[in-house]
Amino acid sequence: MRYGFYIGICLFLLIIQTAIFPYIPVMRGMYDLLIPFVIFISICLPIRESLPFALVLGLIMDNLSGSPFGLYLTFYFWLFIGVRFIIKFLRVSNKFFLSVVVIVAVLVENILMIAIFAFLGPVRQLPINSFPIITQQFLWVLATGPIFLLSLLALAKRLNIQWDGAAPPPNAYG
Amino acid sequence: MFSKKMVLIVGVIILITVNIILLSFSSKSQSTFGLGRVGLSLVSPFQELVTRSIRFARDIWEHYFFLVSVAHENENLKKSLNQFVGKSNQWHEIDLANSRLRNLLNFQKAPTNKVMAAEVIGKDPSGWFKTIIIDKGKSDGLQKGLPVVLPTGIVGQVIEAAGHYSKVMLVIDRNSAVDALVQRSRARGIIKGESADQCRFEFVLRKHDVQIGDTVIASGLDGVYPKGLRIGRVADISQRNADIFYEIAVAPFVDYEKLEEVLVIIPPQTPEVSR
Repeated sequence: MRYGFYIGICLFLLIIQTAIFPYIPVMRGMYDLLIPFVIFISICLPIRESLPFALVLGLIMDNLSGSPFGLYLTFYFWLFIGVRFIIKFLRVSNKFFLSVVVIVAVLVENILMIAIFAFLGPVRQLPINSFPIITQQFLWVLATGPIFLLSLLALAKRLNIQWDGAAPPPNAYG
Repeated sequence: MFSKKMVLIVGVIILITVNIILLSFSSKSQSTFGLGRVGLSLVSPFQELVTRSIRFARDIWEHYFFLVSVAHENENLKKSLNQFVGKSNQWHEIDLANSRLRNLLNFQKAPTNKVMAAEVIGKDPSGWFKTIIIDKGKSDGLQKGLPVVLPTGIVGQVIEAAGHYSKVMLVIDRNSAVDALVQRSRARGIIKGESADQCRFEFVLRKHDVQIGDTVIASGLDGVYPKGLRIGRVADISQRNADIFYEIAVAPFVDYEKLEEVLVIIPPQTPEVSR
């Protein structure tokens, strides 16, 4: 039941990012919707389940995108590590902080993309449309990122999904 | 000797360094180490299902409910068609004359390429890269490196082919490069992707004649795109004093935001040379 929930959410997010949003002009500037999901599984699943899940998601995104192979794999891996570190060692896990994590993660992903173009691309210069892309994604994540992550946590709670990994932060559900 | 914290920090630094090295290697080699087809094979069937469902619903709406603009569009299309019938006849005459002249000069007839239609079922999830997923793959004869076109112009190149689906890198992607020339003056250069509505035409020497409005076509010299395929129109030209090349912006003929069907050119099998 739990795995079905996660796989269903993943598929849903992948399909709307690749088969629906690109055809809606206003949604073309949407950020990577799997970022809040990777943060969600980092919080709620044990590491033996969540880490392979994050890596498989990264592999699938690398396959579907024209990015250098391993880029999404790398990013999701380090996002996972970073979130686990923040939750476990810094013991910071309230709603506001998780919201900030989502926004920062989207910005970091865009900075990584720009770094790839600037240092590893065939033409070592910033894309001319960098600023519009980052601005659109930032505005979208500001408006929807925290809501999306907190909705995932609330949905999991409503479905009575039992956690046996890192315990969910008590304040995350409100 | 070393504290746990020190070991952890050193381990993280080594991991990050290895990561960066691997990323730089994969971005230069464009290789996926054989894993590139996994995601395509897993997710693309669902993309195809959703895309076809949406198009089916949209077709019902447009064909049965939204007929108000159809009659008007029909009139405009009929007028355009009449104009193109006349032009087609002229081109047919030119083609016949070309064939006669080639025969006179004993030119060998180039083998004709097979063309396969494919539907676009998905696009790149990231705004930084420009790729599409099509519903044809290795089982249909596709392989990496095949050109993808439309009657209006070049679309891109197959960069990954799974069993029944393939990934195509569009000409507007920053990693794309097409050997091209100006149709009128035959000035040669390289078309590189820049954004959704513009490409750069690089390495065009300033001694050549290039004007705004000129059509840019594929030169055929990169061994990927057949010669003569349209790419775009010169939109802007600038010259820096110290540079020997123009800075040319090209507006592609293809509308990449509205791609639904494309054509993949499958070259004929090379005949074996008998000794």
